[in-house]
Amino acid sequence: MAQLISDRRDVDFVLFEQMEAQELAKTKQYAQFNKKTIEMIINEARNLAIKEILPTNKPGDEKGCRLENGKVIVPEEFHRAYKLYCEGEWLAMAEDVEVGGQGFPIIVTQAASEYFVGANCAFMMYPGLTHGAAHLVEVYGTEKQKELYLEKMYSGKWGGTMLLTEPDAGSDVGNLTTTAYPNGDGTYTIKGQKIFISAGDHDLVENIVHPVLARIDGAPAGTKGISLFAVPKIWVNDDGSLGEDNDVVIDRLEEKMGIHGNATCVMILGGKGKCKGTLLGEPNKGMRAMFQMMNEARLGVGIQGFSFGTAAYMYALDYARQRVQGRSLLEFMNPDAPAVTINNHPDVRRMLTWMKAMVDGMRSFIYYTGICFDIVRSSNDEAEKEKAQGLIEVLIPILKAYCTDKSFEVCVQAMQTYGGYGYTKEYPIEQLLRDCKITGIYEGTNGIQSMDLLGRKLGMKGGKPFMDLVGEMSKTVAQAKGIAGLETLAGQVEEAVGKLGEIAMLMGKTAMSEKVLTAFTYSYNFLDVCGDTVMAWMHLWRACVAKPKLDALTGGDPALITSKKDAAFYDGLVKTAQYFGSAILPVTLGKMAAIKNMSSAAVDMLDEGYAGK
Amino acid sequence: MEIVVLLKQVADTEARVAPTADGLGVSTGDAKKIINPYDEFAVEEALRIKQQLGGSVTILSAGDDKAAEAIRTALAMGADKGVLVNDPAVMASDGLGRAKILAAALKTMAFDLVLAGLRAVDDDSHLVGPAVAELLGIPHVGGVLEVTVENGSVFCLRAADSGQARVKAMLPALLSAQKGLNTPRYASMIGIMQAKKKPLQTLSLADIGISPDSVGPNAAKTITKAFMPLPQRAAGRMIEGGTAQEKAANLAKALKNEAKVI
Ligand SMILES: Cc1cc2nc3c(=O)[nH]c(=O)nc-3n(C[C@H](O)[C@H](O)[C@H](O)COP(=O)(O)OP(=O)(O)OC[C@H]3O[C@@H](n4cnc5c(N)ncnc54)[C@H](O)[C@@H]3O)c2cc1C
Ligand SMILES: Cc1cc2nc3c(=O)[nH]c(=O)nc-3n(C[C@H](O)[C@H](O)[C@H](O)COP(=O)(O)OP(=O)(O)OC[C@H]3O[C@@H](n4cnc5c(N)ncnc54)[C@H](O)[C@@H]3O)c2cc1C
Repeated sequence: MAQLISDRRDVDFVLFEQMEAQELAKTKQYAQFNKKTIEMIINEARNLAIKEILPTNKPGDEKGCRLENGKVIVPEEFHRAYKLYCEGEWLAMAEDVEVGGQGFPIIVTQAASEYFVGANCAFMMYPGLTHGAAHLVEVYGTEKQKELYLEKMYSGKWGGTMLLTEPDAGSDVGNLTTTAYPNGDGTYTIKGQKIFISAGDHDLVENIVHPVLARIDGAPAGTKGISLFAVPKIWVNDDGSLGEDNDVVIDRLEEKMGIHGNATCVMILGGKGKCKGTLLGEPNKGMRAMFQMMNEARLGVGIQGFSFGTAAYMYALDYARQRVQGRSLLEFMNPDAPAVTINNHPDVRRMLTWMKAMVDGMRSFIYYTGICFDIVRSSNDEAEKEKAQGLIEVLIPILKAYCTDKSFEVCVQAMQTYGGYGYTKEYPIEQLLRDCKITGIYEGTNGIQSMDLLGRKLGMKGGKPFMDLVGEMSKTVAQAKGIAGLETLAGQVEEAVGKLGEIAMLMGKTAMSEKVLTAFTYSYNFLDVCGDTVMAWMHLWRACVAKPKLDALTGGDPALITSKKDAAFYDGLVKTAQYFGSAILPVTLGKMAAIKNMSSAAVDMLDEGYAGK
Repeated sequence: MEIVVLLKQVADTEARVAPTADGLGVSTGDAKKIINPYDEFAVEEALRIKQQLGGSVTILSAGDDKAAEAIRTALAMGADKGVLVNDPAVMASDGLGRAKILAAALKTMAFDLVLAGLRAVDDDSHLVGPAVAELLGIPHVGGVLEVTVENGSVFCLRAADSGQARVKAMLPALLSAQKGLNTPRYASMIGIMQAKKKPLQTLSLADIGISPDSVGPNAAKTITKAFMPLPQRAAGRMIEGGTAQEKAANLAKALKNEAKVI
């Protein structure tokens, strides 16, 4: 097949033509990263992903992880891929050079992640979680903690995790009961149970540093009394040598629907009273630390979800181009007509076009958010930075929930495109579909994301970030109106953006009224239409870039589309944008109308009314 | 130890290719370009020899502007410098023409050992390596599977007609790499960042003393008549029969009487 995981042409389009990532080289922070360098990075990431990581995906799913003598064994195929990934120094590609990273722009790491995670998400969670944990150490750690852990973690020699969840503390992390008892020497004795811990143990590394949320004995209840600790699997002596086993016990592994290659662990900390940790950051400020890391973590999970979507679409497209079944609809009366490949059938085109619209739009959405992160990192202009940070705050819950849920739907459509074969294990879609689902659940369920959007982000700073978002959309609309052939689409997007503003006002007002519960039954729907509108904006923006290039190539002559290099690509891009405006946005307007009704049925109904108990 | 690696950029082996409309060329569409996989073995071997014996590794390619990317990738793997002979005549040359160009470029450079790939996966002519050696008047060992350099000689294990052969050649020599020689490394992130700063020199035909009409299409010894797509594979046939024995008997009959292979 021609392309695996992602359409490289579209990756390049979004990077260089839409987001102009090469312009970042004008900043001091990113001066080294010109277009050629970025291209080479993507080439190598794709190369490693396709040649080494992708082949581990199916075995990883089939074999899963095992718990033997208290130790987790990952599928053997993961070892070579992990070694190569670490040797290539991919783990810390965005980190500053001083801490052992390469300092790459976030947007470039996103393109690389798309390939890596699309190749094997369960595998990539090992280095991915290590990265997140190391980042916590980098930001909140003492000099000593950094000296002991950082280089080991960023190089992949040691692993990292994130221990938040407990049986009674899932969405409500503030309810956790794991306790830390001060030992008087700067260390704490940790006691408690953590569940659902990804990569909680594994044999890819010699040691693991677990960031653990726990309450210092006697600290206040709720989120205000939570602290963050660094708890190594094997204690690390002051000179960096490995000490004793730190009483971090893997009780069992969860049996689950997907991501079988990643161990999901139930962990007992300090069952023998011998688990020690050191504070990461200040006492009782653990949740604050978490919040500061949340944007990046949620962006990461959004990319995970998206990677399944793009991989599933590429497989489905390839399959549809090869599967011969049924005659052309135009020949349906002619029994002698030859059978054709199914990508000729209008109903299959429906699925392919919808998937393409979703995948391309999400790629632009995600990379745009990446550029916002890069502006915050690299700009000298405080106002510009503040605006970008505001956009990040609003976009992150939308991105996390929308991209993970829509990607799952893309997997569903991809399976449908395969017909019966898609449902079998001989083809890759059923695994992608199973694996994808978790991305809508962990790192804050998508319901929780929508509450974050409505409850915190919409009204943040007097609503300025949200208005900035609407303002950015309106700029693109204004630009598009001046481009021949995009008038209709510009009008469609303009209408949606206008209506979204109204819905946002209504949601904000209702959420502050006595109908607050009703408002929150629509928080997910609100997030959904925000997502649709961002996607419409992205498609319009893409078309603004592509349409003039298409016209320059063909001079408006459709016959030239097939003969000029790139013309078919740009033409497909413009048509996809038009499809979004004409086939998807009207449904979005309908969804907005539904929100506007503010039906209180879901709130008013008695519990007994749902079904007998 | 001065090592030069001859490297060609080719279309990604995943690419779907088709004959061009006139049938005289091959269209690779928007395919990405990669280092010819056999040349990657050569790069890897050169880097290993350098690691052991010191010296430097130079990547030499004859190609177009895009070929610079392939050279940069080899630099990112760890090679020290690159030389690109970039001239319109290059792309229009056949294998022998390219060999002339590469040999002429090598004459302007210092080298103890030249490594090439056994074949390029696009044209598959298998001749550039040996032809360059011939033009330079140095020994050539083809299809090497193991290489050891010692005291001014190179000892190779190479594939032979019905087995393998150990061959010794005096340096300078040219070796062409066979699959199995090694597992090429991936470029690391640091390597990629460093590659940007490594020297990449571009030469014209004039720079290496070659007149454009001694290479290019007019001087070509091979003439392409037409490229054709692969024939479609015909549908398979199920052998009839009620029992396994019956099916086997029918299969044997078909192989004897119809396929006439037994
Ligand atoms: C495979 C896997 C890997 C995981 N990896 C990790 C990990 O590495 N580290 C870690 O700490 N955790 C991890 N988790 C835990 C994960 O983050 C939680 O499962 C998730 O936060 C939801 O918590 P819960 O399962 O307790 O569901 P609950 O909190 O019980 O939620 C159930 C439902 O109720 C809704 N809900 C709950 N509270 C509210 C509310 N206040 N308002 C509105 N709706 C609400 C939720 O949206 C959800 O739909 C993992 C989970 C899984 C399945
Ligand atoms: C678990 C399972 C159980 C099954 N059980 C049975 C059984 O008991 N008996 C039995 O006979 N079969 C059974 N099947 C087969 C099942 O009915 C077929 O898989 C189904 O009809 C689709 O055919 P296909 O898989 O060949 O897909 P294809 O026909 O190749 O379809 C692939 C895609 O192309 C679309 N498509 C195909 N032709 C056209 C067209 N002309 N116009 C528009 N779109 C088109 C399809 O909608 C689909 O999206 C089973 C399949 C599975 C997976």
